[in-house]
Amino acid sequence: MTNRERTMNILHFKDADRMPAVHFGYWGELLVEWAEQGKIPHHLAERNYDGSDKDRELDKLIGWDFNWSRTAGANIDLSPGFEHKVLETLPDGSQRVQTWTGAIERVTPGVVSIPSEDDYLLKDRSAFEELYLPKMQYFEDRVNVGYFKSLNDKRDWDLPLGIFLGSVIGKIRDMCTVTGMSYLIYDEDEELFADIVNAYADMQYKCIKQILETDAKFDFGHFWEDICYKNGPLISPELFDELTAEHYKRRTDLCKEYGIDIVSLDCDGVVEKLLPTWVNNGVNTMFPIEIGVWGDQFYPARQKFGNKVLGVGGMDKTAFRRDKAAVDAELERMKRLASEGGFIPCPDHRLMPGSKFELVQYYAEEVKKCL
Amino acid sequence: MSVINEIYSMMQKGRSKAVKELIQNALSQGITAEEILNDALLASMDEVGEKFKSGEAYIPEVLVCARAMNAGLEVLKPLLSGEQTKCPGKVCIGTVRGDIHDIGKNLVKIMLEGKGFEVIDLGTNVEPETFVNTAKEEKCDIICLSALLTTTRDEMKIVIDEVKNAGIRDKVKILIGGAPITEEFAKEIGADAYTPDAASAADCALKMCTE
Repeated sequence: MTNRERTMNILHFKDADRMPAVHFGYWGELLVEWAEQGKIPHHLAERNYDGSDKDRELDKLIGWDFNWSRTAGANIDLSPGFEHKVLETLPDGSQRVQTWTGAIERVTPGVVSIPSEDDYLLKDRSAFEELYLPKMQYFEDRVNVGYFKSLNDKRDWDLPLGIFLGSVIGKIRDMCTVTGMSYLIYDEDEELFADIVNAYADMQYKCIKQILETDAKFDFGHFWEDICYKNGPLISPELFDELTAEHYKRRTDLCKEYGIDIVSLDCDGVVEKLLPTWVNNGVNTMFPIEIGVWGDQFYPARQKFGNKVLGVGGMDKTAFRRDKAAVDAELERMKRLASEGGFIPCPDHRLMPGSKFELVQYYAEEVKKCL
Repeated sequence: MSVINEIYSMMQKGRSKAVKELIQNALSQGITAEEILNDALLASMDEVGEKFKSGEAYIPEVLVCARAMNAGLEVLKPLLSGEQTKCPGKVCIGTVRGDIHDIGKNLVKIMLEGKGFEVIDLGTNVEPETFVNTAKEEKCDIICLSALLTTTRDEMKIVIDEVKNAGIRDKVKILIGGAPITEEFAKEIGADAYTPDAASAADCALKMCTE
């Protein structure tokens, strides 16, 4: 069986010869650490992106089959983006940086980390209409049509390939920060936030449609959201449903027209309260199910939604910083979840600094027996 | 609807401008600044805090209510004397060294202020000695430590050790929180308490200062 066949079979509750060894990439600092320890060649520690040739080379070295976040899609970013510039260097060495989204973040040079929000440009309707709306427009060059037209000929058919379905609200949160999103939601101009969501969604839909019309073959669709944290969603589930449901449905319905019935969604944090919106609107595969840091769980979702909900993830990546016993315990847990069908184990986020190379290799080999 | 109820309601909707106008209206009706503070601003913030703790309100509701409260306080502060406001205690709060994330820390600060605490915000990436010196000089009752990253949470133990070395461990309580923090970790490093969310942190701080 190819990895593509075994993956699709498992997610359709069919037999497979073994479990694929799936991962979700690495923090850059870990790759540097491994290179310094002589575990991997130095060139693999630089500019290693999901699904790139370097990522594939690393897969072979470690024993992974593939990275789930290996997708292809349109340019759905603000176009052109805002100028990326350092606004100020603070006494502690950190910098206030305006990013391409117009958000102003604090970063510490040389440290790869979750960005820290500082300020933002998207504050009111005039900022939306004058600065952002022009950058959210659909235009043909957002899709590299030539690439997608020839994708069936050049893709590696051993591996499943996803079409990137964009983001309904997470990217907007990136543009205006959690604080800004909160203020926009409660702006005196009550339609403002929904107008932003709708404008951004409309452009993405057109891009996805254009890609699918090239007849490029995809095995699954994949959203990115990141709208939850340790204590659940960043916004109320009712409001989330009101703002996003139609957009998920529109895109997943389009996928179905092209035979794509597996749609995964990458959302960190505890996602349980948002599952009804996703599952009821065609998003059926939860990823990466962050149990280690945030305590998210797959089993309750399966109990609630039955086989309508699938999972890729759920393996506590922090075990790689501990010992073999911790990894073995995770493998046992993964085996139990996998026995239910429709579930593929995967580390629950990017592997972090301090992860032991040999333990990752060991896991990648052993997880293949989790069926 | 009484003007106090109107302010309360506008706070919940995060309408800062309306809150300010209504406070002026209340003052012109002879309602004291203290009544407005306690019965409208703090009471409304408290309700949002309770809802946040029980999962009925989310971060946006807390942030917009806090913004409206601060707008209201701008009007009231010149009218409030220190004696009229009940302050349960003084807290210094910050995100530990190496960590520049502050959403969680800011939420805790909002909730503490909503309970009437005097809060000294040390910001992010705070050196251990800054926590210790502030606690000593300002006679803080509580030090609140926040961390978002698994790689920075160990800084919390360093702060606690520094507090011990400075000889003030028996004078100041240490409350910790953040994404990678657990009850078990708090016990392991010798913190007085861990709380899972911002509203619980404020409740815990109040308990620490009143019991």
